[in-house]
Amino acid sequence: MGFLSPYRVIDLTDERGLLAGKMFGDLGADVIHIEPPGGTSARHEGPFVESGPAKGRSLYWEAYGCGRRGVTCDIETPEGRDLLLQLCRNADFLFESFAPGKGARLGVDWPALHAVNPQLVHVSITAFGSDGPKAGWAQSDLALWAAGGALFPNTKEPDRAPFRLSLPQSWLHAAADAAGAALIAHFARLMTGEGQHVDISAQQSVAQATLGRVLSAPVGDPGFERWSAVTPAGQQRADRSGSGSASARSKWALKDGYAEMHLSMGAAAGKFTNALMAWLHEKGAIDDDTAKLDWITLADRIDEGVLTFADLEPVYEKIATFLATITKAEFMDAALARRLPYSPINSIADLAASPQLAARGFWNTLDSSVGPLRLPGAFALTGLPAFVPAGERRPAPRPGQHNREVYAALAGLDETALAAFAAKGVI
Amino acid sequence: MAPVTPPATATLPLGRLKVVDLSWVVAGPSIGRVLADYGATVVRVESPRRVDTARHMGPFVGAKRTVESGALYGNVNAGKLGLSLDLSLEEGRAVVRDLVRWGDVLIEAFAPGMMKRWGLDYPALRELRPDLVMLSTSLAGGTGPYAAFAGYGGAGAAMSGVMHLAGYPDRAPKGPFGPYTDFVGPRFALFTLLAALDHRRRTGEGCHLDCAQAEAGIQFLGQAVADQAINGRVAERCGNRDPDMAPHGVYPCRPGPDCDTPWVAIAIRTDAEWQRFAALLGGEAADPKYANRGARLAAADRLDEWVAAWTAARSGAAIEAELQAAGIAAHRASTSADMQADPQLLHRHHYVELSHPQFGRTVVENTRFALSATPARVERAAPVYGQDNNHILSGLLGYNQSRIDTLQASGALRTEA
Repeated sequence: MGFLSPYRVIDLTDERGLLAGKMFGDLGADVIHIEPPGGTSARHEGPFVESGPAKGRSLYWEAYGCGRRGVTCDIETPEGRDLLLQLCRNADFLFESFAPGKGARLGVDWPALHAVNPQLVHVSITAFGSDGPKAGWAQSDLALWAAGGALFPNTKEPDRAPFRLSLPQSWLHAAADAAGAALIAHFARLMTGEGQHVDISAQQSVAQATLGRVLSAPVGDPGFERWSAVTPAGQQRADRSGSGSASARSKWALKDGYAEMHLSMGAAAGKFTNALMAWLHEKGAIDDDTAKLDWITLADRIDEGVLTFADLEPVYEKIATFLATITKAEFMDAALARRLPYSPINSIADLAASPQLAARGFWNTLDSSVGPLRLPGAFALTGLPAFVPAGERRPAPRPGQHNREVYAALAGLDETALAAFAAKGVI
Repeated sequence: MAPVTPPATATLPLGRLKVVDLSWVVAGPSIGRVLADYGATVVRVESPRRVDTARHMGPFVGAKRTVESGALYGNVNAGKLGLSLDLSLEEGRAVVRDLVRWGDVLIEAFAPGMMKRWGLDYPALRELRPDLVMLSTSLAGGTGPYAAFAGYGGAGAAMSGVMHLAGYPDRAPKGPFGPYTDFVGPRFALFTLLAALDHRRRTGEGCHLDCAQAEAGIQFLGQAVADQAINGRVAERCGNRDPDMAPHGVYPCRPGPDCDTPWVAIAIRTDAEWQRFAALLGGEAADPKYANRGARLAAADRLDEWVAAWTAARSGAAIEAELQAAGIAAHRASTSADMQADPQLLHRHHYVELSHPQFGRTVVENTRFALSATPARVERAAPVYGQDNNHILSGLLGYNQSRIDTLQASGALRTEA
C-alpha cells in the first residue's frame, strides 16, 4: 500500500544516501538495500545503543535504514556484480553513493546498468558530483556545509567561528534531493520508456540552505552577505525581515529554556511586534508609553536617526524580565492565542512530548532489532493511503535478513545456489 | 473555455503539468520552481497589496532594493508565469477557481484556515476539479492544537528541534542560518507531490497534502530522535565538534585574491589522516600520543589552537590545496564570491544568467538535479508584478477582453499596492 507501491528500488547507498530509499519505502515502494557481507558502513555511524542486548548497534542505521528489505552481496566480486545486475532487471530505481569512479571500476556504472535494464532510473549521490575538478576531493559533512555556502553566513557569535548544525545534515539534503529527482526522471520515463542517470551533488544541495545568499556576488550585491544586524562600528541595525534570521536579538531566555522571537519592524512584519506588545501590556510587563510604539514605522525612524536602538534597550529589558517568568508551554499558548509568529526552542525531549505531533500521529513505533523504536512518521497528512500504515512499516533489516526471499523471487536462486554463493562469501 | 496552446516545454518530463502556485516566501515557491525547471506551466498568483516577504529580503540585483530586485524571490520563482491577483476580492477568488479548473496542482502556504475563509479549501476546490492535487505547506500543519499557528521559518527551526542543536554548548542556541525548515520542507513536499501525481495517473484520484515544515525538519534529526527513544539522551549543540572526529572545526584563514572567506573547515576522519596532518603542523602535534582518535578527542581544545595557528598564516586556497593533496577533508567556508569562482560549480553550471525585463540581466541558481536525458530548462526570470496577466487570463483561461476589462476595473488585477 502507498503512492509508490508499484515500484522497486535497489539501494546501494551507505550513510550518505539512506534517506532517499527510506522516503521511497515510506510511500510503499519495495526497497531492497544491498550491503556488503560485512555490513554497511552506515552500521558504524553513531549514536549507538548504550546498554542492553543491542548495545553498540547504530541508531543512525535504525533511523534511516528502515522501510526496506535487506540483502547482502559482495558486488566487488564478479559473481556478486552479476547478482546485482540480475536484481536490476526487475527494478525501477537504483540509488548509490559510490565514490566517483567506483561504479565504473566495478562494472555497475550507468552504461552497464542501462544495458541490463533500459528503463532503470540510476541516481548517483556524491559530494561534489560524479565528475569535475573536485569530484575526487576528500569530504565530510562539515566540509560540504562549507562548500555549499551554508556555513559562512552563520556568524551569529561574532567572537567565534561560524558553526554547522550539531547533527550532520549535508548528506540528508543530497539524499532528499535524490528522491525528488528520481521521480522527475520517472515522469520522463513515462513519456519515453527510457530510464536515465541522475547526478546529485551534495555541495549544490547544501546551497539551498543559504536563503539565496549564494547569489549575493553573482547579482552584484556582494556586500549583502556580509550584512549583519550589527554594523562594523558595533551599532545595531533594523532588520526588516519577518524571520530576523540575521538578527542577534531573537533568542530570549524563558523560565525553562529559550524562545525564538524576533521583534520585527517595518511594513512586512511590524504588526506582530505590535501584537506582542499588546499582550505584554495586558500582563503589566510594559508601560502605556512603550505599548504605543508602532513597530511598523519604527524601522524608518531608526534609519532616519530619530530613534536609536539604545532608546529601545529599556523595552528589551522589560520584555526579558517578563519572559524569564514564563515557561515554554505558556509561551507557546500565548503565541497561538495572539497569532504571534514565535516559538519556544524545542529540544528533542520537547518534541517527544509535543501535543501537536501527538495529535497529528507523527510518531511511528517500529518493532526494531534494538527494541520498540519511536521514529518520525509520515511527511504529509492526506486522506488517501499514501504511506505505509504505521503498524506495517519495516524496521531497518539485519544483515542479509531477506537474502532467501529476495534472491529466490528476483534472481531465481534455490537453496543450493544460495548456499554456493554463501560459501564463496558473495552473500 | 478556449483550448490551451501546448507549451514549448511539452517534451520535458513535467511538460504537461499545470500548476497554480498561491504560495509565498520560500518553502512553497521552492516546490513550484522545481516543477517549472522540468517543464510545468506554473502560474504564480500574488498581490502587491500583500507583498511577498521574500521580495523584501536580499540580496538585491545591483544592490538596489526594490520589490522586484530581490534575488531570493527571483531564485525561488524563476520560470513561473506571474498573475497579480487580489484574493481578498471575490473577483480575484473567481479567477482562482478558474485556474483550479484549468490546473492539475494547487500549492498554497497561507496561514492554515485562510483558504477556508475564502471558500478555497480542498473540499470546495475538488468540486471544481475532482482530481485536483492540492498541497498546503505550513509550519505546524493544518490540523492539531497548533493548526492556527502562523510563523516565519525561524519559528519552524525552533519548533522542529533544529535550532536547539546549533550553537556553542556554553551559550544559548543560535540556530542554523536562515529559516531552516524552509530548506528541508520543500524536499519532502516535492517528493510527496510527485508521488501523488503518479498515484493520480494510475487511479484518477486527487488528494490534499498537508505538509508541516516543522515535521520535515524532524525527519533530518532521525538519529537524535532514536537516541532519545532508546538511550534517553537528549541531543545538545556542540559548536563544530564531532563525537568521532578531532580535529574537527572551522578555523581562521587569510582572505586574498584567490579566497574571499576568512574561514576554512577541516575534518580529520581517521588516524592516518591525522598522521599526515600532524606532519604538516609539526611541533607538539607530531607527538605520537595524539596518534589515537580517543586521545585527540580528549585534547580537542589544544589541537584546535595548533590548527588555528597553522591555518591563520595561510589562505583558504592554499590550505585546501595542501590538505586535499594529503586526502584530508578541507574546504573554505565559501562566500558567494568563492562559489561564483568555484571550478566545480562552474563545471556543474550552478549559476544561470537570465534576462530580466527591468534589470537587463539577473542570476539564479540552476536546478540541483543533473538529469542526463532530460536536463532542466532554466530560461526565464521570475515574473514582475502582473507580467503575464494577459497571457494567463486570455491565453490559458480563455477570458475575452471585456471580461479582462471588468476584472481590471474591479481592482483585482492591480500591479501596485
